[in-house]
Amino acid sequence: MATCCSKQTEPTRNGNARKVALVGNPNVGKSVLFNALTGAYVTVSNYPGTSVEVARGSATINGEQWEVIDTPGMYSIHTITEEERVAREILLHETPDVVVHVLDARNLERMLAMTIQLIEAGLPVILVVNIMDEAERMGLVIDLKLLQQKLGIPVIGAATARKRGIDEIRSAIVTYRCACDQQRFEYSRLLERDINEVSCLMRGEYILSRRALALLLLQQDEEITELVRSREGDGHSLLAEKVREIAFDRRESFHLDLSLERNEMVRRIAIGVFSAPEKRVVTMAERLSRLAVQPLTGVPLLLIVLYFGLYQFVGSFGAGTLVDLLETQGFKEHFNPWITDVIKGIIPWEVIQELFVGEYGVITLGIRYAVGIILPIVATFFLFFSILEDSGYFPRLALLVDRLFKHIGLTGRAVIPMVLGFGCDTMATMVTRTLETTRERVVATLLLALAIPCSAQLGVILALLSKFPGALAVWGACLLLLFIVVGFLAAKVLPGETPMFYMEIPPMRLPQLSNVFTKTYTRMQWYFMEILPLFILASVLLWLGKITHFFEVVVEWMKPLMAAIGLPKETAVAFIFGFFRRDYGAAGLYDLQEKGLMDVRQLTVAAVTLTIFIPCVAQFLIMKKERGWKVAGTIGVFVSLLAFGSGYVLNKILLVTGLLS
Amino acid sequence: MICGFCGYEFEEEHGIKGCGGCSGGCHSIHCPRCNYKNPLESGVVKKLKTIFGKNIKKKGDKR
Repeated sequence: MATCCSKQTEPTRNGNARKVALVGNPNVGKSVLFNALTGAYVTVSNYPGTSVEVARGSATINGEQWEVIDTPGMYSIHTITEEERVAREILLHETPDVVVHVLDARNLERMLAMTIQLIEAGLPVILVVNIMDEAERMGLVIDLKLLQQKLGIPVIGAATARKRGIDEIRSAIVTYRCACDQQRFEYSRLLERDINEVSCLMRGEYILSRRALALLLLQQDEEITELVRSREGDGHSLLAEKVREIAFDRRESFHLDLSLERNEMVRRIAIGVFSAPEKRVVTMAERLSRLAVQPLTGVPLLLIVLYFGLYQFVGSFGAGTLVDLLETQGFKEHFNPWITDVIKGIIPWEVIQELFVGEYGVITLGIRYAVGIILPIVATFFLFFSILEDSGYFPRLALLVDRLFKHIGLTGRAVIPMVLGFGCDTMATMVTRTLETTRERVVATLLLALAIPCSAQLGVILALLSKFPGALAVWGACLLLLFIVVGFLAAKVLPGETPMFYMEIPPMRLPQLSNVFTKTYTRMQWYFMEILPLFILASVLLWLGKITHFFEVVVEWMKPLMAAIGLPKETAVAFIFGFFRRDYGAAGLYDLQEKGLMDVRQLTVAAVTLTIFIPCVAQFLIMKKERGWKVAGTIGVFVSLLAFGSGYVLNKILLVTGLLS
Repeated sequence: MICGFCGYEFEEEHGIKGCGGCSGGCHSIHCPRCNYKNPLESGVVKKLKTIFGKNIKKKGDKR
């Protein structure tokens, strides 16, 4: 039996590893501690008869083998949820040799009540006061030695996420000895009398102390009642009668009385142990968090983030320097000439040579676009995205734009699909299903199709226009204007109320390098694996279109349309590419600009038109799946007309005003 | 895993997966609280973690 004082920590039990159970509230760092303690093998499985998962791992501490159990989050020994029941089952039936109670130093007073319950239950408890780093930053002072003295159990301060205190915890586990100096926490005279009357009637053997069981029985805990019934045999009826009698006498206030008495115990313990500064210390992260959500400071902060993150890092460095290195120097100057010679040496037929290394060749166009242009752009974009994500900026952005979004029939919640849309509009369209009302979903789907460029498209456009800041400003202004005006009109046309938006925001923090690189690599890998076959397929289709002259017919057919918006007929190619995929179209535009076919005005008009232009095939199919043919078709036609309409108007304005000339 | 948007901590198995929208299969776990799309760790990353850190064995796996 693992009850305190009933045993010392014997080296092994029947040759098996000894057990340590980690318990505590959810989100206090139990899993981080579990990962720090355990070795290479970890199993995650459902606790028998439940759908609750429990992780188990092994740890070698000072040469001794230990089994570490990460229990589900629990708030009290008196259980309510299935997770709490499983956590208590582990304490009751797996008899851990050491129970490590992990709590959050910032909420010490609230969480100490459970420590008292664990001690009261006679369990071999070690207390880990975790997240000490944050508490210290907030100016909280915790006297761990005094706390240890008051509780009579080992107390360790830690910041497990920063690996602080891990060695001390290991040492405390392995050197744990019977804590016979555990404190006994006295309740009021009346409650002590009730506890005594119930516990004196118990005869069975239990893991938990009779004192703790008496309290659980008086709280009408069904599982404990059942357990006691099975252990007490004939004596149970007398015990049950006593419990019933006391429960009836105190039926109105037992839970409240017990809770108040425990709060008073915690308050007494906290005296001298815990002190908070008179004026709350505001951490750097909190200050930044406030700046990010207030409109006066939040908007300039957003512009700074966009300037350095998108314009400088993704646009100038990713789409400029890296693309130049890979696409121009790598592919055009070295790889393409070499592979063209190789293919022409192997394949004698010109038409087949064209398939691989021709104008729309699988290698010279498809792979060059994917590896030379898109890959460096999405790599820098996803790196920037992951840094923002890991810092906790996105939920603050949701709060910042909530007021603006309400005017266009959306709420801050719509930031999720909008932000994801900058990664890929197709999956962002799918995420619109989580918005509360149909009206919100339709407006968000429309705005995604219209004014949110995907990462690669955005990167290429930034690279093309960054050499001409005026052109970039015109492009940005056009998209913002369309986003607001179309959103506002859509909200007016579509009936319905805008729902309330609220969310619990996680703390802001310094992005962790390992998280950022893992997420960036993972996103890049999936993105690349997704686009590569599509780019190859698009190249094959374009090759087919070329050899059958169908492609020329389409280009000729689009010539008047291109002329109407002031673009050379060759630009039609980028629009045809864009229908396959947005990023493919953007890469086509990059090629045209490199050939010197467009001036600044034409480049700006093409960039605006192509960004607004009809969503790619995949996005259109998802629009149809999510919103139905009618809505998807209407959005497709509206967006296409608006794209060319906007291109036409913009071209005229630029010609008349002489802007960008 | 911890949701990159709302910070909610949840088991990978409890996230929403496989809505069938992405071409090339599902590579993400949607948060059960806010539905934010969190990237699913790629095989390479899992392999590296196995070598340098954890080998998470799921239920039904044999050692």
